[in-house]
Amino acid sequence: MARVLICAGSGGVGKTTTAAALSVALARRGLKVAVLTIDPARRLADSLDIGDIGNEARRVPLPDAHLDAIMLDQKATFDDVVQRFAPDPETRARILDNHYYRYVSTRLAGTHEYMAMEKLYDLWASGSYDVVVLDTPPARHALDFLQAPDKMAGLMDEGVMHWLTLPRNALGFRVLERGSTALVGVFRRLIGERTMSDIAEFFHLFHQLWAGFNERSKKARSLLSSADTRLLLVTTPAPAARAEAQAFLDAIEAAGMPFGGFLVNRVVPSPTAPPPAREAFGDPPAAMDAGTWDALVEAVREAPAHQERLATATGRYLDALRLEAGDAPLWRVPELDREVHDLAGLTVIADHLSPAIDELGF
Amino acid sequence: MNLLARRVVIVTGKGGVGKTTVASAIALAAAERGRKVALCETQGSRRVPDLFDRPSKGYKLTEVHPGLSTLSITSDQAIEDYILQQVKVRALYKLAFKNRVMGPFMRAVPGLHDLVQLGKVWDLERLRDAGEPTWDLVVVDAPATGHGLTMLKSPQSMMDLTVAGPFHDNAKLIRDLVVDAQRTALVLVSLPEEMPVNETIELYERLEGFRAQVALSVLNEVHPTVIGHPDTWPRAREHLAGRAELAEAVRFADRAHVREVAQATARRRLADALPCALAELPFLFHRDLRLRDLKGLATALDPWLEA
Repeated sequence: MARVLICAGSGGVGKTTTAAALSVALARRGLKVAVLTIDPARRLADSLDIGDIGNEARRVPLPDAHLDAIMLDQKATFDDVVQRFAPDPETRARILDNHYYRYVSTRLAGTHEYMAMEKLYDLWASGSYDVVVLDTPPARHALDFLQAPDKMAGLMDEGVMHWLTLPRNALGFRVLERGSTALVGVFRRLIGERTMSDIAEFFHLFHQLWAGFNERSKKARSLLSSADTRLLLVTTPAPAARAEAQAFLDAIEAAGMPFGGFLVNRVVPSPTAPPPAREAFGDPPAAMDAGTWDALVEAVREAPAHQERLATATGRYLDALRLEAGDAPLWRVPELDREVHDLAGLTVIADHLSPAIDELGF
Repeated sequence: MNLLARRVVIVTGKGGVGKTTVASAIALAAAERGRKVALCETQGSRRVPDLFDRPSKGYKLTEVHPGLSTLSITSDQAIEDYILQQVKVRALYKLAFKNRVMGPFMRAVPGLHDLVQLGKVWDLERLRDAGEPTWDLVVVDAPATGHGLTMLKSPQSMMDLTVAGPFHDNAKLIRDLVVDAQRTALVLVSLPEEMPVNETIELYERLEGFRAQVALSVLNEVHPTVIGHPDTWPRAREHLAGRAELAEAVRFADRAHVREVAQATARRRLADALPCALAELPFLFHRDLRLRDLKGLATALDPWLEA
């Protein structure tokens, strides 16, 4: 059975890079790893050095390691689902051509998360990997990933579909029929005949593959609470971090999902030595004027104090997170000197993630 | 470029760059100048009242500072408003909301949840007290980049979808407000780092029909200069390399240098790519943002309100 690591976190905390670095670290330990990313900027493809990344697995050129990267294409994934569960080619073609389906498969809130889960399940069930790492879609809040699929499932819910398809097959729903016909009539007036018939047709067709779709999404959901799965919260020492951590822990506890720990990026290290004395600097390099040299020497002597101010400013949020974490593991990744652009950069982060991987039992 | 002459200011940018802080600072700066300001959070976010040390009243407008009121827009409540106030069919409203089925049904309408949130903004804009606008300025803390763009385009999307009818006509009114550069301004928030700047420039390019409305970009969390001398520093660093007793200080100095170069690059790239004013806000070392800090940021943004 493959294990699953899910990296959740709000926008701008380095979630995609962390997921990639985790995957690199796991692959270097000899595990067969798949990383599913959602990074719309495609920067990950660049740093993994794989050029074009798509909905199909691409091997990352990491020596002596088995690491595949997949970038979620939510429309293609939804198309695959339709393909798999449509009862016949005609239904499949009609769904794929339906205008409303195009909206549902690309822009409906929650679809992205739903399809990430679908693709995750697909990779997990393939049997090709020891570990599947998921980078969750960009979100305002870390919790969105956990909640969004329910929103979509709510829309796709059989009850709603019954209502929408009632005007066509209303037998046995006499009381409801009058109300629903009125509703549909009102709707037709509000959003126009064509859209209304697109929506009605979509739900009518989708009804036929609902059982398969629903069955599969239940399995995908149960994967999230499996004993082989760990949710990780990627965060940074920032003002909102503590409240987010609290809400996240509450939500995954309520949902019965296993928490792995906190991965805190951009931890600012404090100076360990006092600032160097003026005398330690010696003479300026050749052809540098004394005024510039003096200014730079003073700047270097002030740099540790500035670093300390930064460390203090952000350290308070780290302390708050630590408090919130309680017994849960919390791993720190120091702020990097340069932005990550390539596999070498990811490898540096991977080294920092080593304790996390040990503690997660790999 | 004058923000105060507009009716609506929409603030967007990459997730985590400080959109809420910037939107609050703009709203506060306008209020300090005596304007009556309504500050709208979207998607049910409720972070603004906390910045002013006030409890949130959710969807209900609440004054958090003299001249500044705020509310948190949720699509569910905005849908109700939209149907009730704008479509003006009470029987329909009853049908819609006395009926449990209608909620999911409404959520199924493509783009409606985005449109209705702008609809609420439109509603606040046109509110009048004895002929005078109730709000001089409506500031919107919009969703992040991609979703923000979808929201901006939602009136046009609804018009394309419906072709005719009440939703179409109403979407057109909202669209007309949002695309009117005289009435609506966009503010793009970024951080002085490579990725957020990339995303800001990309967002600007994707704004297409809305580019004329971008009145201001804000570079948030700019650090003070510690090293300076960006061209000379690498030579000094080389000169000091290998000196164990200096190693840590040099490393921190280099870190500061890298940040300074990144900030200068960010500033230049934004200035080149976006033909609008560029404001800067300082990194706050005590970032437990309090009203005092927010006032500082509002003061820093004040010159840009009428730039």
